[in-house]
This record gives sequence, structure tokens and C-alpha cells, in this order.
Amino acid sequence: MTLISTLIGTLVFAVLAPVLGCLLAGLDRIVSARMQGRVGPPVLQPYYDVRKLLEKEDASVNSVEKTYIICALAFALISGGIFFSGGNLLLCVFMITLSSLFFIVAAYSSRSPYAEIGAHRETLQVMAYEPMVLLFAIAFFVAVGSFDTAAVLNLREPAIASIWLVFLGLLYVLTIKLRKSPFDLSMSHHAHQEIVRGITTEMSGPTLALVEITHWVENVLFLGWIGLFFVWGNPLSIVLALAVMVVVYFLEVFIDNNFARVKWQLMLKSAWIVALVCGTINLAILVF
Amino acid sequence: MALLGFLIVFPLVVAAVLFAVRNDAVRDAIVVASAVVIGVASVALVALNLGAPGVFFEFSSGIIDIVCTIIGILIAVVILAYAVKYKNLLAGALALVQVALALVFELMFAHGVHVEFGLYFDSLSLLMAFIIGVIGSGICVYALGYMKDFQHHEPEGAKDRRPLFFSLMFIFLSAMFAIVFCNNMVWMFTAWEVTTLCSFLLIGFTKTEEAINNAFRQIVMNLAGGIAFVVALFLAVTQMGTLSFTIFIAEAVSNPAIAVLPVTALAFAGITKAAQMPFQSWLLGAMVAPTPTSALLHSSTMVKAGVFMLVKLAPVFLVSPIPSVMVMLVGGITFLWCSFMAISQSNAKRVLAYSTIANLGLITACAGVGTPEAVWAATFLVLFHAIAKSLLFLCVGTAEHHIGSRDIEDMDLLFDRMPRLARYMMLGIMCMFIAPFGMLIAKWATIVSFVEMGNVILLVILAFGSAATFMFWAKWLGKLSGIAGQPENVELTVHKSEWGSVLLMAVLLVIACVLLPYVSTYIVEPYICYVYGGSGQAVATDNLWIASICVAAVVIVLFAGLGRNKSRRVNVYMAGVSVDNESRSFKNSLSQTSEATARNWYMEDYFGEKRLSPVGVGVCTVIIVAAFAFAIVGVPGLL
Repeated sequence: MTLISTLIGTLVFAVLAPVLGCLLAGLDRIVSARMQGRVGPPVLQPYYDVRKLLEKEDASVNSVEKTYIICALAFALISGGIFFSGGNLLLCVFMITLSSLFFIVAAYSSRSPYAEIGAHRETLQVMAYEPMVLLFAIAFFVAVGSFDTAAVLNLREPAIASIWLVFLGLLYVLTIKLRKSPFDLSMSHHAHQEIVRGITTEMSGPTLALVEITHWVENVLFLGWIGLFFVWGNPLSIVLALAVMVVVYFLEVFIDNNFARVKWQLMLKSAWIVALVCGTINLAILVF
Repeated sequence: MALLGFLIVFPLVVAAVLFAVRNDAVRDAIVVASAVVIGVASVALVALNLGAPGVFFEFSSGIIDIVCTIIGILIAVVILAYAVKYKNLLAGALALVQVALALVFELMFAHGVHVEFGLYFDSLSLLMAFIIGVIGSGICVYALGYMKDFQHHEPEGAKDRRPLFFSLMFIFLSAMFAIVFCNNMVWMFTAWEVTTLCSFLLIGFTKTEEAINNAFRQIVMNLAGGIAFVVALFLAVTQMGTLSFTIFIAEAVSNPAIAVLPVTALAFAGITKAAQMPFQSWLLGAMVAPTPTSALLHSSTMVKAGVFMLVKLAPVFLVSPIPSVMVMLVGGITFLWCSFMAISQSNAKRVLAYSTIANLGLITACAGVGTPEAVWAATFLVLFHAIAKSLLFLCVGTAEHHIGSRDIEDMDLLFDRMPRLARYMMLGIMCMFIAPFGMLIAKWATIVSFVEMGNVILLVILAFGSAATFMFWAKWLGKLSGIAGQPENVELTVHKSEWGSVLLMAVLLVIACVLLPYVSTYIVEPYICYVYGGSGQAVATDNLWIASICVAAVVIVLFAGLGRNKSRRVNVYMAGVSVDNESRSFKNSLSQTSEATARNWYMEDYFGEKRLSPVGVGVCTVIIVAAFAFAIVGVPGLL
């Protein structure tokens, strides 16, 4: 049963998530531009960019990079499929970690010194956010009584009521997961704070297009995690969840445009302290 | 029962024969043939009794009792001889204490106690038998090729001590079988000490100063565990009147109050053998031994005896808080601390060692929790850790002989230079730390069992430990995956026996991961049902199937999908004109050739051994001392 629903969920997610993610990226660019006092590109600009990348020649530094990137995209889609079909949240977290790993390995495989620095930093970013993400899944289980995301539909009140501290912690590491400044260490879309191009240095043409799409899909999934806190038995709660997702994304864009990149030491320490404080206290309150 | 006896006795016979054989070809034939026999026999045992509950055999023998006493004395004599030769007072003193205690015990106390059912097996023993019989003997076959290269690297005219090496390996297997099949605790103790002595001799095999020092560190720590074992035997007889392991556990479960001290002592013995903090240093020191020894110690024998003991005691931990808290905390802290320290290591074997200790810590913590779900997770961890770790050790050993280094930084371009080996190594690494492979499924179950116990400390430890695990494995995996054109392929000279063993482990790994739901139903669940009377599977079968499908996909990509892309090749961007991709050299702005270098991150300032190790050792020592203090205070009539 779960197998079939996961399969259908993955297929639907594979169609819808890139579209939504693309629109989200377009809005992101317009909002960013307005914050910087510019007009900004049309909302479909990310789509035009990716289409152009897909039409470029398939040149690469080795024969394996693209395969790894395809794997990264595939497992991101499966992860989203599991999440939105009401599947196991922990499995969803594990799958998206697998996707990140393939992305990291793709960068390592190029042996470009710049890409390697990006890969090191991406690995460090995973290490920085992983405790909070795992504690989020665990706290969700304690609050809702199941790892299945579908279980929120039977709740009398949203999970945020009992695990708001974990929500704040997740919000903190979300900036790392979305690779927004000040935590865009592995690759930045702000040209002024980048060593060459970080993790994607050697990715070009169709491969880079796939990386972009993976990024869109991830954004949709992570906002889904945020929304999960606000859904309960009432069907109208989904509207509330969507509204929160929009607000949170706006907040991330705001942070992105107002902070300069920090050093990795600060990122690691602060993310772990946030996880330790928010995760432990909230779990302890729930259990005792 | 004949099969059990065969598995215990046959390796001993082989060991005796191998000790006499000096010819390479004859040794090859004997080792391969007997490895196959042991492997087939243990698989047959598992297949014939799949899903069996506990099966007991009425077997007691005064002769075996006497033999055990003699073996005990012999072990002490050997250790004493070494202690005198190398002037190690502590090891000698401990050996004397232990043998004196054991003799007093066996001659004055154990006499009156009769164990009717001397041998037994249940599904956990079967799983262990499979690990020992298949993985252990696979490592013995691997050792053939490895030890030829090893002998080759020895100085001219060095004595060929390989007969001793191979007979020790087989004695080790025999002793392990005895540990998992003996219900008589005195027999079990003897086998326990045999493994201690064997690993002492194997670690000190090269006889360098470092090897001897590390061997003595091992023997001192494990003798301490052995003495705790004897103390537990005393208490089992005087307080509970039994030496049957099964009855001991059942009594301890039904009447935890009288069993606190013996169970704590046995758990302590398990902790020393499983190299938990503060005893982790013996397993790290064991790395000086030839690689097959490390593989054997880490994956299928020795440390697995320690966790076997702890998993066996799990039902007692569920009802007895003092040993339970000790085992949980020591295991949890070891997991976290060793995962951290692994980040700072660039020596591949030390990374593997820290990861072994960390995973054993997780198994220990699960055993300490003691619920059916936790034991399910612990059993899974034992199985997958054994397969993946042996695969990794064998790969590192082969790589070391062909690239001349065991440093991870030197494994750059391994994907080009040893394409097959690098893929096997990547498979092993992925199995250790990333979903959907076996270890992560076990970790998933661990999370569920900790959540259900409401154990916040262990959950937080697990979350941070897993993050550290990702860091040190991912950067190694990345190093392996680098590609730069066509450097010389150096894996053509790898011995056939080495390929055979590596392939065996890789195939076992893939099969075990893909058939995950069946492993749960037919191998792990029967033991849980037998001990707890209910299911312990915390992960839904459907989710196991999703994981197994994803494993199949990743394996196909790794072995068939990589390298098929035929797109145009371009040079790596170097901020100049690329000269050579392999050495990463380029023409800089002054038209000179520059070389770019990049190293992985080891973050010595944060996760260095010097900084972290004393803290972990100190905390765990305090926990163990406190647990013993509480346990002794609780003994009725003592104070």
C-alpha cells in the first residue's frame, strides 16, 4: 500500500514540484531585486535560464558527474514523494540526505580545487543542520504519535502548539538547507562572496540545469516541512500552512539580502547550539 | 548437535594442521578448503534451523571441564611468559590474579554445580554463527594473498611465521563458535579467554616495539574484563546456584535484585571486549597488526563477542536499572565521542577503528535499553556492521599493498587507479552511513526504540553522532570518487584470493540490503519472539521494501551506470591554462607551471583526539565506577 502511494506521490511530485519551485525561484528574484532597489527579471526567468542550459552542449570534466547529479535529483524526488504522499518523515529525511551526498560526490569527482572546497563546505553544512533535522523528525513523532506525515490530518490541534521550539530551531537551519546567505558557504548566488563558484564550479550545460531543478524541488520539500507544523484535522488549516510557508520564504529572502556570509566556525557552532537547546528542551518537555 | 560440535572442533583441527605446514601451495589449499567447509557448515546450520527458538542439547562432560581448566592455566602461562620476557608487571599480575581466581572457582565452587544442557543455539547464535563461519573464514582466505605480500615486504632472511598466524586465525574462529554455542558459563569463559589470548598474539605478531606495547594494552584491558567475568561466575554460583547461561538470564529477569552485581560484572566484561570507552585504546592499538587481523577483530570476532554478551543480557537490562544505565550511557557516549574523533583522522584504518568503536557503542546502547525494538536494531547493526566493515578492511588492506599507503589523502584518484576496488570500497562506505542501506535502517529502528523509551539523552546523542558520521564518511567517499583521465591501473596484480573474499563480502552486503524485509522476518524476528514473546520490528515492512528498492538502484548505478556518459571532455578550471588534470597543474599568470593542492578537512582544533579523548575516558570511567559502587551496595548481606 505504502509502496504504491509512494510511487504515485513521487510521480506527481516530479511533475508539480519543479513547476512550483521554478515559480518560487522567480518570485525570489523579483522580491530580492525590489529589496535592492531594482525592478528584477520576469517571474519565468529561472525557467528561461534552465531551458537555455538544457539546450547547451553536453560537455563535462569526466564521465560520472552527470550520473551522480541525476541520482541526486531522483532521490530528491523520491524524498518529496514520500513526504507529500503521507509517508514516513524519517525516511524522507534520510532520502534527502542521500540526495545531498550524491551532489557532494559529484563535486568531488571533478577534482577541481574550487569544487572540492565547495564540497567540503557542503559536507560541513550537512553536518551542521543534520542534528536539528533529525530532532525535528523525532519531536514530530513524539508530538503526533507517528512518523507518517499523513497522521497530522487526525490531529485536534497543529503540531506547532507543542513543538514550537523545534519549529524555531528548524527555521534557523532552514537557511543553511536553502543555501541562503549568511549560510551559503558551499555555493552562493551573490557573486561578491564566492570563490569562483563553489560546489558547482565544474557543472555546466544540462548538468547545471539538473542541479537547478534539484534545488527547486528541495525548496518545495523544505517548505513542506514548515507547513507540516500547521496542518491539523481542519481542512482550512492547509490554507494557513500555505500562508506560513509564504511568510517563511519571504523571511528567508529578507535574511538572504541583509546578511553577509559568515565563517564556517560560526555556522557550525550556532547551528549545533540551536539544535541542542531547542531540540533537547522541547523533547524533554514533551517526554516529562 | 553434531554440527555444533563440528563447528567448534574442526577449526581447531585445521589450526593444528596449519601450524605444521610450511609450504605455500599446501597451505593455500588447506585454508581455502576448510574455509569452504566451515562456511557451508554454518550456512547449513542456519538454513536447517531458520527461525528456530532456543534449542538445547543435553550435554555435560567432566573431561571438557578439566580441559577448560588446563586451557585456563595454559593461557596464564603464556601471558606470564610474555610478561616476564617484556617486563610488563601489570599484565603478569593480572594474569596471576585471574588464573588464581579461576582455579579457586573451578576446584572449590563449580564442582557442585551441574549444567545439564551444555550446548544450545537460538536465532541470535545462528546469526553469529553465520557471521563467524562465512565472514570469518572469508577473511582467512583473504589473508592468504595478503600474507604473501606481507612476507614479501619483510626484510631478507626474516623467519616465516605464517603457520602460527593462520593457526591463530582458525583457533579464533573455534573459540568464537564456542562462545555463541556454549550454555555452560565456565566453557564460555574459557573460550572468552582464548579469544583474548589469540588477539594478544595476533596484535603482537610483527614484534615491533609498537606492536608489543599495543598487544600488552589489549591484554591488560581484557584481563580486567576476564576477572569481572570470573567474579560474575562466583556470584552466579553463590547467589543463584547455577552456571547455565540461560537459567542465569531467566533468574536475573525474574529476580533482578540478587542479580545486579553479577550482571554488572558480565556487562563490564562485555564492555571491555567491545572496546567501549574507557577501553577504546586497545582496539585502536590493534591497527598495527596485519590487516586481516584487524578485519577479523573488528567485524566477525572479538568485539562481536562483547556485544553478543550484551545483547544476550538485554532482557535483564530492561528490568535492572543499574547495569542498564551503565551500559546505555557508556555505549551512547562512546558512539558520540568516537564519531567526533573519527573526523580528525586521515589514516584509513584509524577511521575504520573509530567507526567500529562508535557502532559498537550504538549496539551497546541499544542492548542497554533492552526493549524488543532496541534488540531488533542491535541485531541488525551487528549483522550489517560485520559485513560492511570486513569489506572495508579487506579493500583498505589491498589498496595499501598497491598504492603503498593507508592514508586517505593518498587514495586520491583510486577510482582511476583501482576502479573495481574503489567501487567496492564506496559500496562499503555507503552501507556504513547512508540510507537506504542496512546500517541506517538499523539506526532508524534505534531512533524508534529510544523515542518509545522517552530517552532524550540518547536521542540527542544519536542526532549529533549521526551528523558527525556523515562528515567523516562523506569526505572519504568524495576522495575516492575523484577522476582525472587515465592513470595507470594498478589493480591487475591483486591476488585472486583477495578478489574472491572482497567479492564475497560485497555480494553478501548487497543481498542482505536488498532482502532486508526477509532478514528481519526470518533471522532477527525469531530471536525477538523467542526472548520477548512479541515482535520488535519498529520499521514498517513497506518502508523496508522502499529502502531495498533504492539500494538496488544505487548498486546498479555504482557498478553499471558510472562512466557511461559519452559527452565531450573538457579540462578542469584552474584560473589559468590547464597543463595536466591528474596533477592539477596549470600555467599561471607568469607563464610558470603551478600545482593546485587540496586536502580534506580534519578540524583538529575541534575534534582532535588529544582534546576529546580524555573527556570521554574520564566520564565513562566515572559511570562504570559509580555503577559498580551502586551494585555492590545493593548486594544483600554484604554491608
